[in-house]
Amino acid sequence: MTWTLVGWVFIGCAAVLLLISIFIRFENRYPIRQMPAIAHLRKAQSASMETGRGRWVLLGDRFIPQAYPGLGLHALSVLPMFLSMESGVDGGLTLGSADGSLAVFARQVVQNNYRDGFSPVLHQAGAQIALYGPTPLSFTAGLLPELSPLTSGSLALFGHYGPESLLWVDAVQRRHGAIFASGGSLAAQAVLFLSVRDVLIGEATFAYPQAPAPDNRAARQLLTEDVLRLALILGLLIGVGLKLGGVL
Amino acid sequence: MRKILAFAILAGASLLILGGYAFQELLAPVLGMVMDWGLVLLGAAFLIGIGYLLRMHISNLFKAEKSVGMSGIFLVAFFFTLIAGLILPTENAFYSNLVLNIQLPVEASLLAVLAVTLFYASLRLVRTQGWTPLSVGFLVSALFSLVLESGILPIVPNSPIGQVVSLLSRLPLAGARGILLGMALGGLLVGLRVLLSFERPYDEE
Repeated sequence: MTWTLVGWVFIGCAAVLLLISIFIRFENRYPIRQMPAIAHLRKAQSASMETGRGRWVLLGDRFIPQAYPGLGLHALSVLPMFLSMESGVDGGLTLGSADGSLAVFARQVVQNNYRDGFSPVLHQAGAQIALYGPTPLSFTAGLLPELSPLTSGSLALFGHYGPESLLWVDAVQRRHGAIFASGGSLAAQAVLFLSVRDVLIGEATFAYPQAPAPDNRAARQLLTEDVLRLALILGLLIGVGLKLGGVL
Repeated sequence: MRKILAFAILAGASLLILGGYAFQELLAPVLGMVMDWGLVLLGAAFLIGIGYLLRMHISNLFKAEKSVGMSGIFLVAFFFTLIAGLILPTENAFYSNLVLNIQLPVEASLLAVLAVTLFYASLRLVRTQGWTPLSVGFLVSALFSLVLESGILPIVPNSPIGQVVSLLSRLPLAGARGILLGMALGGLLVGLRVLLSFERPYDEE
């Protein structure tokens, strides 16, 4: 058995588990994780809307990062939740990215929300799509002047980004803006852990679209994740045992 | 109908690419073609992204906002680099020196600012996260790694103390692997959710 095959078996098990979980009715029996960071983010978003301050959602610098696949896709998958919160507000949301494909897909998500919900504020001026620079550092150079003192309400980071994110965070913090960070490279997670209270690291990074909505869909995805996590831990422990026993 | 079509294209392309990994010889020509299409689309998306960038700065110029000066500098630099890049080959010494001698110092200065900000942020760790086991562990681990990496401790590698220190110095690596495993697990599930249409970011659910 090769490691590639082990990987395929793992992917297959995950797919089968997700499919099986469709037929399970949870009815609040499966506990949804309490994540204060997500509650803080939603509160900060609402407060920013009420006070008319700017909201930034950054989608990262790469759609398909080599080392962290899934982060770009995850950044796009959280967008509908942000857009639904914005439906009654007259502008102020900026979706920033350092990757052209992320910007294009974000625009498609915004337009679909507009088309399906007939909410003109989500179109054009409502949710602005901005590409501040095509590389991480040029993005930083382009973004920092935009986070001006009068408009910094909240900043939410998703997708892939590096330790330069500390500069964005610092700019918003100095203006008393709220910050939420989820994702980023390993270095970015370490750096943001130092300075951001509401930060999600590791597998919690992918919790955002499910955790605040305790419905069946959220429960089934969390159940799958928990089963796989347990299988992974057991596999690692068995591997360590076999290594110590001289079998591997 | 539009939703069904979008899902069918997504599922077909995803299954084809996944199947291509399992049946490489059989699906290699088709897979290559699909990957080429993907690359062309990504290239086109990049160009559109550059269009967004230009539009933002041109709009700043017309609105005469406070960042009008920076937008002006950006546009001049952008078009100069674009035209120079189109006329001169990338190996041209004048062109590469011109770009690198501006780009590298600017990037280095941003990294220098980042280093100072990082130092300041590390001083605020406990104030940000409070006295939690995670923050204390982070702090102790960071201090321990700093002392070890500085090389000021005279540790003999094969001595018992050296082996303990070696074990402890590998702990951050183990932690990093743990976080990466968690992210890989989350990434796998995000991919599967989109593939199985549980999550449809491209469409209102």
